[in-house]
Amino acid sequence: MGDGILSSGRGNSSSNRPEWLQQYDLIGKIGEGTYGLVFLARIKPPSANRGKFIAIKKFKQSKDGDGVSPTAIREIMLLREISHENVVKLVNVHINPVDMSLYLAFDFAEHDLYEIIRHHRDKVNQSINPYTVKSLLWQLLNGLNYLHSNWIIHRDLKPSNILVMGEGEEQGVVKIADFGLARVYQAPLKPLSENGVVVTIWYRAPELLLGAKHYTSAVDMWAVGCIFAELLTLKPLFQGQEAKGNPNPFQGDQLDKIFKVLGHPTQEKWPMLVNLPHWQSDLQHIQRRKYDDNALGSVVRLSSKSPAYELLSKMLEYDPQKRITAAQALEHEYFRIEPLPGRNALVPSTPGDRVNYPTRPVDTSTDIEGTTSLQPSQSASSGNAVAGNMAGAHIVTNRSMPRPMHMGGMQRMQAPGMTGYNVNPNAMGGGMNPAGIPMQRGVANQAQQQQLSRRKDPGMGMAGYPPQQKSRRF
Amino acid sequence: MAANFWTSTHYKQLLDPEEVDVVHPLDRERGVTVEDFKLVKMHMAQYILRLAQHVKVRQRVIATAVTYMRRVYTRKSMSEYDPRLVAPACLYLAAKAEESTVQAKALAFFIRKLYAEEKPRYERYEIKDILEMEMKILEALNYYLVVFHPYRSLTHLLQDAGMDDMTQFTWGLVNDTYKMDLILVHPPHLIALACIYIASVYKDRDTTSWFEELRVDMNVVKNIAVEILDFYENHKLIAEDRVNAVFNKLALKP
Repeated sequence: MGDGILSSGRGNSSSNRPEWLQQYDLIGKIGEGTYGLVFLARIKPPSANRGKFIAIKKFKQSKDGDGVSPTAIREIMLLREISHENVVKLVNVHINPVDMSLYLAFDFAEHDLYEIIRHHRDKVNQSINPYTVKSLLWQLLNGLNYLHSNWIIHRDLKPSNILVMGEGEEQGVVKIADFGLARVYQAPLKPLSENGVVVTIWYRAPELLLGAKHYTSAVDMWAVGCIFAELLTLKPLFQGQEAKGNPNPFQGDQLDKIFKVLGHPTQEKWPMLVNLPHWQSDLQHIQRRKYDDNALGSVVRLSSKSPAYELLSKMLEYDPQKRITAAQALEHEYFRIEPLPGRNALVPSTPGDRVNYPTRPVDTSTDIEGTTSLQPSQSASSGNAVAGNMAGAHIVTNRSMPRPMHMGGMQRMQAPGMTGYNVNPNAMGGGMNPAGIPMQRGVANQAQQQQLSRRKDPGMGMAGYPPQQKSRRF
Repeated sequence: MAANFWTSTHYKQLLDPEEVDVVHPLDRERGVTVEDFKLVKMHMAQYILRLAQHVKVRQRVIATAVTYMRRVYTRKSMSEYDPRLVAPACLYLAAKAEESTVQAKALAFFIRKLYAEEKPRYERYEIKDILEMEMKILEALNYYLVVFHPYRSLTHLLQDAGMDDMTQFTWGLVNDTYKMDLILVHPPHLIALACIYIASVYKDRDTTSWFEELRVDMNVVKNIAVEILDFYENHKLIAEDRVNAVFNKLALKP
C-alpha cells in the first residue's frame, strides 16, 4: 500500500466490477463468514509481484446502513500498524464505492490449524508429529508475544485463525490471522457481548465465562493452551454446548467441561474468583458437581513430569494473573529440548514423517460480485446470483477454464452431514456450484504465498452451530 | 505499533510545517490562501467539536476526527472534498476507530439541527453522503487510522512534575492545539510538554529542573509553546464572515 495501487475507481457502465480488480486474476471463493466472503486471486503482470497468490476478504456493507463495519475499520487499523513474520500480512486495501464494499488483500496461506488437525484426525488417522506441534506452538507464541508486547489482544484465537503457509519460501510458517476482534488494550475494553459480538466458546478463558468485565492478554494464552492440547490429541479440549440467548448467556456447560478436566477452581488458588459475577450469582449451579481431580494429564496423554505437560498446565492456569505469558512460554524448557522447533513447521527433520496437507478448496463459480449487495442502487441484474456467476465464469475463463471436478479436490469436500452449516442465503442461493468444482490442482500446488482468514460465522443463526464449523463449504 | 509511538505509522507520517501549509493547486486556483486554508480547518475543527458534543463522544474521538480531517487536507483539495462533509464524516469514522460508534442516522440528525440553529452556509448533507465520504476518507488516509494524542502523556507528565492541580488548565490547552496542525507535525508528548511549559510560565511555577531531567529538546518544546501562544494572539475568535468568504471562493469556478 502507499505504492499507488490503492484505488477506488467506479466500475464501467456495463458492470459494477471495480477497476482495481483488473490487477488480479480472480480464481474463486475460498471462505465466507458474517463479515462477507473470501476469494483467492493471483496478481497479474506487470506487477513485480505477478503470480503471487493473495486472499481477498470482502466486507459486506453493514446491514444497519452504517457504512463500513466497525469490525473492518478496527481490523484495518491494527493490520496497518503491525508487521511480524508470524502475523498475517495485509498487502492491500480496496474500496468499491458503487456498492460501498471494502476489500482487504492478504498474502495467501494454504493451510490452517483447523484443517491440519482435521486432516490428521479424519484422513491420515495419526497424531501430528512432535516437531510440527512444537514448531507450530512456538511460532504461534512468537506472533502472540509480538502482539501482546504491542498491547494488542487478539480475543478470538482458535485453530481456524492460525494459518500456515503452503509451498514456497515461507512454507510451514505460522501466521496469526483475523484481527476483527483484536483490540489495543491501553484503554479498558468493553466486553465483546456489549458490542454484539459472538465468539467461539471452546477457547474462551474461565474468567470471561465467569463474567469478568475486562479482557487481558491472558485470555489469548488460555486459547493457546486449548489449541496446544488440540494439536496433541486432535480433539478440542473443552467442547462445551453453547447456551443461546441474549445478550450474553452464562455458559455453564463450557465451564463444566473445563472443571471436569482441571478440577474446580478454588479461592486459594485464584483469589479474585469470588469477585466474578457468575461465581457469585450461580454458585450453586456452578458447584452443583464437584470435580476435584486434575485429569489434564490423562486427557492429553502426557506424563505430569514432561515439559510439554508443565507448559500446557501453565497456559491453563485458572488465575489469569498467574497464567504464563507468551514471553515466558517462549523461554520454557519444552522449547529447549529435542526436537527443537523450526521455521518450517510442516517439514520435520526426518523426511519420512512428512504429511502432505490438502490445499484449500476453491469455489470457482462465485464471482467477487456473487454476494447479494444490500445497495438498492445496484441494478437488479447485477445483484442476483445468476448474473454474478456469469461474471465469475467470465473471469475464470480468462485464466483457466474450470475443469470438471478433480477427484483430488474431493478430499477437501465437506462430509455430507455438514453441508447444512454453511448455507449463506445471500451468496450461495441458486448460484452455488453444484459440482463443487475445486481449484485446479496445479494451481493450488503452486500456491506460494498465503493467507486468509475466515472467521466462523456465528451470526447465521445455525442451530447447534459448533464453533469449529467452517462456514465455507462447497 | 499500537502502543509504541516510535514504531507507529503516526510517527512515520509526521510532516514538516512547510508540507502542511500547502494549499492544494485546485484550491489555489480559486484564490484560497494559506491563511484561508488554516482558517477553514480551524473552523471545521470547531464544527466537529460542536457536533461531537451533540452525539456525545469522548474527547479522544474528537481529537482523532480532527486529526483525520487535517490529514485529509494534506492530500486532497477542499474544492473536491467539501470540508462541511469531510468534517462530520471524519467524526463518524473516528467514532468507529475509537470504539464509540455513532449511528449515521444520529449524526445526520444533529447536522440538520446545527444547520437549523446556525449558519445557512451548511449544505444539507444526508446519511448517504456521509457514508460515501467515509470511504473516500479511508482512502485519503491511506488506511492509516491509529492516532496518538497528547492526553495520555499529559496525565503522566503532570503527575511526574507534581502538577496534578494543573490538569484542567493544561487539558484545555491541549484541546486548543487541535485548532492548529501541531498533531501532524510534532510527537504528541512534545505537544503535551509545550502545554505544561505554557502552564508553568503562566501560573509561575518553577519547572526548569524538571524539564532539564526529561532529556527532551527544550528548543522544540519552546517553539511549540510559542506557536500555541501566537495562535491565541491571532485567533481570539474565528471571524465567521471570513470563513464564509473562503467557502464562497471554493464554490466559485476559476
